[in-house]
Amino acid sequence: MNQRIIYPTDDGVAIIVPAPECGLTIEEIAAKDVPTGKPYKIVDMADIPTDRTFRNAWEYT
Amino acid sequence: MTLILSGTDGLSDVDGSAATPAIRGTDTNTGIFFPAADTIAFSEGGVEAMRLDSSANLQFNSGYGSVATAYACRAWVNFNGTGTVAIRASGNVTSITDNGSGQYTVNFTTAMPDVNYITVFNGNGNVDTFSGGGRQFSMVRTRATGSVQVNTVDEGGAQSDASYIGVAIFR
Repeated sequence: MNQRIIYPTDDGVAIIVPAPECGLTIEEIAAKDVPTGKPYKIVDMADIPTDRTFRNAWEYT
Repeated sequence: MTLILSGTDGLSDVDGSAATPAIRGTDTNTGIFFPAADTIAFSEGGVEAMRLDSSANLQFNSGYGSVATAYACRAWVNFNGTGTVAIRASGNVTSITDNGSGQYTVNFTTAMPDVNYITVFNGNGNVDTFSGGGRQFSMVRTRATGSVQVNTVDEGGAQSDASYIGVAIFR
């Protein structure tokens, strides 16, 4: 699954990585695993930086 | 002993034993037998190999030397926590949440019955990010029935990504 779900947290941004074998769609995973009431976006995996040196400084925009 | 074969009861009224199972093929000492009430057992070569007891516990002898209850892994995941964070393989897991450097949440497909489960880790690190000498440790941060949050830290105590993280849940 080449998509990710992002949502804001108090410390920055959380990124949900789907399990390929779980049998759920990305929308179903978002409905289940994003905390209730949080806004979220479904993005392409390629949009997530791979350099994690400053991961804790990432923000949700 | 009377064997009943009917359209209502099916094949019934023979309990059998490990040595002479009630249901078997041409190998007379391998098959299914019924050793007690609400219990199903399987034998191989005249020796009990597996049993589903009256409490629905699965018991088997898989090289243990005796038939005993097996306590299964309820969820597991193997993932890469560096670069493009991705799950390699998993069971009973819908996703992991990357919360920050060395901070991950494993989200279960089917929730645990309570939070009294144990979490087993392994983690092989990204040695480039270690502030210590290359050792890496994992710990549970929070437990919930639907998820568990785990952290990986280097030996300097700083949260640090790991390239090969395994988490297994037993209950």
